[in-house]
Amino acid sequence: MIGRFWAWLTTKCQTCSRIRLGLGIAVAVLSFSGILMAAGAAGLAWTNTEKFCATSCHEMTDNVYKEFKGTIHDKNRSGVRAICSNCHVPHEPLPMLKRKLEATFEIWAKLTGRIDTREKFEARRYELATHVWKRMKQTDSLECRNCHHDDAMDPEKQSEKARARHLKMKTQGMTCIDCHFGIAHHEPDGPGPQELKF
Amino acid sequence: MMRWTLSLLAGFWLAAPAMAADDAAAEALMKKSGCFKCHSVSAKKDGPSYKSVAEKYKGKADAEQKLYTHLTTSPKVKVDGKEEMHETLKT
Repeated sequence: MIGRFWAWLTTKCQTCSRIRLGLGIAVAVLSFSGILMAAGAAGLAWTNTEKFCATSCHEMTDNVYKEFKGTIHDKNRSGVRAICSNCHVPHEPLPMLKRKLEATFEIWAKLTGRIDTREKFEARRYELATHVWKRMKQTDSLECRNCHHDDAMDPEKQSEKARARHLKMKTQGMTCIDCHFGIAHHEPDGPGPQELKF
Repeated sequence: MMRWTLSLLAGFWLAAPAMAADDAAAEALMKKSGCFKCHSVSAKKDGPSYKSVAEKYKGKADAEQKLYTHLTTSPKVKVDGKEEMHETLKT
């Protein structure tokens, strides 16, 4: 295929030297790849914005985004916020791409209207929450730890209870989501991350 | 005010018929008081879930009084075998 294309190109462009032709093609391919990569990166960045999550579909706007508003991750004394992507999309490139790829299958759910009403969403709330819990248990709450660094926590500045709980996490192989669930969204009805075996 | 709030909480916990606005007020107070740090509605945390509390007190005449005392007097509770003071409601 490439050989036939090369033969066609050299007959069409008989005045060009082979080196110049090769260089021209290389530049064209590189430019096209660069544009594709830039567009892809811009697209990924756009899907990580709060505006995208909040306004792209009514399933998010009317359910999970509405619940997020006013929570500690939305509004707090210091003004440092964690938006949807901070908790639901890994920051590292490869895990992020894997998550984005998984998320494309959610488009199918959108197209088939699996949670297009409040009732349908409520009926699936527990299932949806367990997907997130499962992922966070498997990654040791990677998304939490993007901001909350274990080794940067000063036990002296924590309450006695928090100190005890965090020590328990370290010594008993627990992770953030085992206790810190239902923070930005309503808690679903059913067994929590500590009780589920993933 | 405290009594009224606790009645709301009792309603929230004991699954008594309550208006959605009351549920929201009770939940907001519980969030403000940090209740959800140790308790969950139905899942396991360090403290018992509210569903299990509701089951424990269901049909008992002194339920409201007991909850009132529990939430206003900082009693000692056991967590992982160690005693610690239960927080009071931040009304």
